Amino acid sequence: MLEEDKISSSIWENCPQIRNYGSINFLGLLTFYMREVRRGFKIWGITLVAPAIRAILFVTVFSLIIDNPVKIVLGLPFLNFLIPGLIAVAVLERAFESSAFSMVYDKSEGIFDDLAIVPLSPFELVVAYASASVTAGITVGCVVWLALIPFGGQLPALPLTLAYFVISGSLILGLFSQIVGLFARKWDYLISIQVFIFLPFIFCSGVFFTIDQLPQIIQYFTWANPIFYIVDGIRYGITGFSDGEPLIGVIVTLICIFGLLAICYRLFRIGYRYRF
Amino acid sequence: MKRKLKNLPMDQNNSIFLASPVVRSFGKINWRGFWTLYLAEVKRFYKMRTQALIAPIITTLLFFFIFTLALDGTKEILGDLSFSVFLAPGLIMMSILQSSFANTSSSILVSKVQGNIVDTLMSPLSSIELTAAYVAGGITRGLLVGFLSTMTISIFVSIHIQHFFIILFYALGASMMLSLLGLIGGIWAKKFDHIAAMTNFIVVPLSFLSGTFYSIDLLPKAWENLVWFNPFFYVIDGFRYGFINRMDGDLWLGILIIVIINSILFTVACKIFAIGYKLKS
Repeated sequence: MLEEDKISSSIWENCPQIRNYGSINFLGLLTFYMREVRRGFKIWGITLVAPAIRAILFVTVFSLIIDNPVKIVLGLPFLNFLIPGLIAVAVLERAFESSAFSMVYDKSEGIFDDLAIVPLSPFELVVAYASASVTAGITVGCVVWLALIPFGGQLPALPLTLAYFVISGSLILGLFSQIVGLFARKWDYLISIQVFIFLPFIFCSGVFFTIDQLPQIIQYFTWANPIFYIVDGIRYGITGFSDGEPLIGVIVTLICIFGLLAICYRLFRIGYRYRF
Repeated sequence: MKRKLKNLPMDQNNSIFLASPVVRSFGKINWRGFWTLYLAEVKRFYKMRTQALIAPIITTLLFFFIFTLALDGTKEILGDLSFSVFLAPGLIMMSILQSSFANTSSSILVSKVQGNIVDTLMSPLSSIELTAAYVAGGITRGLLVGFLSTMTISIFVSIHIQHFFIILFYALGASMMLSLLGLIGGIWAKKFDHIAAMTNFIVVPLSFLSGTFYSIDLLPKAWENLVWFNPFFYVIDGFRYGFINRMDGDLWLGILIIVIINSILFTVACKIFAIGYKLKS
């Protein structure tokens, strides 16, 4: 009788246990976050080096074709005006690619539906994806900034403002990227959204020119374009000069973040296009 | 068996042999096979036309607006020529170059990753026919993209075709060169990373630094000498000559260089298919 008891208790001790966690599954969140981050860093040639090279090419070409290098835009020499814009574009592009590409890749491999059974709540999924996007955005921003230093880059004038706009910018694009990734069934959808929505938004955001150079109709569109406020904020953070009002930028970005967070949460909650 | 056949009436005997499959005989060149592979290539990119045809046009337009707006569009280079007129042919050529490269490289690499390259290699096509069919597919996409972006960009800037045949020759030569490069690159690459690396580190920088956006007179002296070693420079320069009647280099030198590079690349690609480098194990 005693022997039996001993054996049975030892069996129970060795068998796998259910891990208990509180209201938030931190270990799961970290695991998922690390997977997303590693996935981005694994292809560092595409995600880090290529944006840096593209930024350098843009700077080279612009510095060659501008005959008077002292052309003043917003009280800045043109290259000093351009470089923060290029950094902003690299950050936003990377943040946009991060979650959407990862999700569509999972979909094409047929492993995306596994999201329905991981022990992560919808909110944790949103947070994990979004924080991976922010990490990716900050990293690529630093790399591009370092790469552009020999071409006239400068130390940020207002580091905290810069940090706020880089983080909020990559957060907004990262959340948007989640919506796109959930929506897209194939690579084609993703590329279409990138070409028809993302690129025109970037184009009308004052990266390469101030918005008063645009036609009147597109200017109205630009004032309603959150990316404009992000690019402008990043430029303000680096140079101390801005096209719009940075405070309005802060308000717009906060509204965008909360709106997108709500949408993302809702989509993961109902398992949009992955839980049937 | 023999006796049985002999006993059969003559006409029935014949019909057995007529109905059985016969080896299709073809001459020196398997035209039908070539055409089939070519059509497969064209249908492949037509199926993803948003990526293959519309995306390059949008990118070209955005580049056009970025550069003309950032430089006010009024700046005049090369005498009375406005910057936008100078820029347009270069951008069209850039879209041709990148599309042709993307077509062959991704086609080969996708077949390799999915494993169906074996079927292409087993088909009754010689190495020359394989190379020609793939390259013809790449040229078709390049020319189509070039034509479409010329049409779209001509809405915003007046484009005058001065020398049609020069434009056609340079467009053909350029798309052939990049298709061949893409073919060789696609065979060499093991992963999509490798193709992306070739696009980002070779094709894009060479086309950016080749006089798409500026006349080489603007370059510092040391750079100007380097440009003469960039084949993309000749391609873009000659192509632009067809539109604006002015060029930095020499027309016949450009034609000669394109012909030489294309024949070298074609020989290499044929050789690669013949020995099955990274294809047959």
